Amino acid sequence: MATKKATTMTANDGCALEARNLKKIYKRGSEEIVAVDGVSLNVEKGEFISFIGPSGSGKTTLINILGCLDNATSGSLKIGGETVFSDNCSLSESDLTKIRRRVFGYIFQKFYLVPTLTVLENVLLPFAFFQKAEASADPMEILRNLGLEKRIDHRPSELSGGEMQRVAIARALVNKPEILLADEPTGNLDTKRSGEIGEVLRSLNGRDGLTILLVTHNPNLARIAHRTIELRDGRIFG
Amino acid sequence: MATHKINIYQVAYKNLLRKKTRSLLTILGIGLSAWVLVSLLGFNQGYESALNKDIDNMGFQVLVTAKGCPYEAATLMLKGGTGLRYMKESIISDILKHKEVEGITPQLMAAVFDPNRGESGGINAYLGVDPATFPAMKSYLKFKQGGWFTDPNAVEAVVGYEAAELEQREVGDKLLIPEKNVELKVVGILNRSGTADDGTIFVPLRTVQKIFEKEGLITAAGIKVNKNANMTELENKLYDLPDVQVVSMAQVKTTIMSLVSTAKVMVFSIALIAILIAMLGVINTILMSVFERFQEIGIIKSMGAMPWDVFRMIWTETVILCLLGGGLGIGFSFGLSKITDVLIRRLLPYTPTGSLVIINGSLALLTLGVVVAIGLVSGVYPAWRASRVRPLESIRSEGD
Repeated sequence: MATKKATTMTANDGCALEARNLKKIYKRGSEEIVAVDGVSLNVEKGEFISFIGPSGSGKTTLINILGCLDNATSGSLKIGGETVFSDNCSLSESDLTKIRRRVFGYIFQKFYLVPTLTVLENVLLPFAFFQKAEASADPMEILRNLGLEKRIDHRPSELSGGEMQRVAIARALVNKPEILLADEPTGNLDTKRSGEIGEVLRSLNGRDGLTILLVTHNPNLARIAHRTIELRDGRIFG
Repeated sequence: MATHKINIYQVAYKNLLRKKTRSLLTILGIGLSAWVLVSLLGFNQGYESALNKDIDNMGFQVLVTAKGCPYEAATLMLKGGTGLRYMKESIISDILKHKEVEGITPQLMAAVFDPNRGESGGINAYLGVDPATFPAMKSYLKFKQGGWFTDPNAVEAVVGYEAAELEQREVGDKLLIPEKNVELKVVGILNRSGTADDGTIFVPLRTVQKIFEKEGLITAAGIKVNKNANMTELENKLYDLPDVQVVSMAQVKTTIMSLVSTAKVMVFSIALIAILIAMLGVINTILMSVFERFQEIGIIKSMGAMPWDVFRMIWTETVILCLLGGGLGIGFSFGLSKITDVLIRRLLPYTPTGSLVIINGSLALLTLGVVVAIGLVSGVYPAWRASRVRPLESIRSEGD
């Protein structure tokens, strides 16, 4: 059932993501830790949302669930109008992968570039596993837009932190995702490079209409989003 | 549309470049195992054919001796030069009547005690051979110096390579037979043949018969059998002769092969251990690299890689290591086959002359197949572990 849902899912206008009463509970011994506590949320297509909050507030757990990297304990999630999961239905790793490769692009605090591959090869890496026939982007164009066209033959060790993150962004964009998830993308960068990455995200959203969900501790970065959601103790605050 | 491409195999290959030393050491380990394996398989092929060639080189396939008589010099020495038994020379013509017999050469072994040999004396053995038939039958014997006897009754000797070294004789020197006070003139010294002939002193049959007063008697007759003849049938016929024993080289071969099979079991055990060690090395290398790349593999999965994609990528890394290691080992085995030969010669109780290790293309391919199969088996666990990495695990370490 779930597989079918995943593979037949198509994007439609309007809501990119619709989450209802999401809960994530971890068990540590006899103790239960509620990481996400009944979050309901709509994300419109083309919207740029930032999630802020103190450490342990559940923002990363929340976007992992929204980004199909993790299952919720309960609640429901629709992507592009199609139900991904609802109560008592959790998806297998393969089903989650099928959704991920069609809908999402991810960037993380650490860049996770493959050190033995060149910039261009790192950007092409997703194609080794999956390539959207109808919507593959031109990697060279993406690299040009990110100001990396002269670095394509360089190895990650020859790049600055900001450049590495831009390569990671290019890699996330190469399969033309509908939604970009960015989890602390500037956590390893100085203020200047953080500003650059902020600009890149803003332009991806403004120019290309990409839906972006951003988790950050950086208030300056959070400010560029259309909407900022603050989380505390696994709940939306305010 | 993208024109640039990258595939899983390229990614796997480049992953191995990450820790070059570790990859190289693993390849070297596999290479050494492959070397041992291909050399052993080559030895398996080579030894028997070398032994067959050696037996053909003996010139005769069946030896008929008087019952109880030692049939080669080493046994004679062990018996302290005693125990020689004699047959009448007329037996030669009886044996020649059989249709299976292509040729025959009579031999008379004689031994004397030499008080000057070693610290407390020793046995000198002389083999009387027929100048008319013996050299033709043993055509592989080549001379280092000189040649065969000048006359069937000449008081001359042809000395085997090792015997000449031991006695320190050259062509033209004299060789005294103790007790008999006869001096033989050395007319030829043989090249090393790797057979018992190396330690033998050959004297014309008539001369030995005369010196040792054994006229009309011989100790053995070497028989060359027709190529298509039935050996067993001939042996049975020969046993009908009175008071003889028949030593077939086929029996000797069986004895040697059974000796060698013990050594083979030992060497194959070593190969097995080498392969097991290489296998563990491969598992260790790949598993370590999987653990080191845990987060990276998670990211690859977040990009859309299915468990099978990751499995295939890691499996490919293993196969690349094994292919390179196997290739290296086969290269070793071709390049170092001489060293292998020497090593095996030291290990075995008896080794024939000629190439002991025969390595050819099909053997090399077989070994490569075995090594790659080992790689595929070794790679299953690390690849399975990698395929089970969840993308979340790679992100979780980043806090929140």
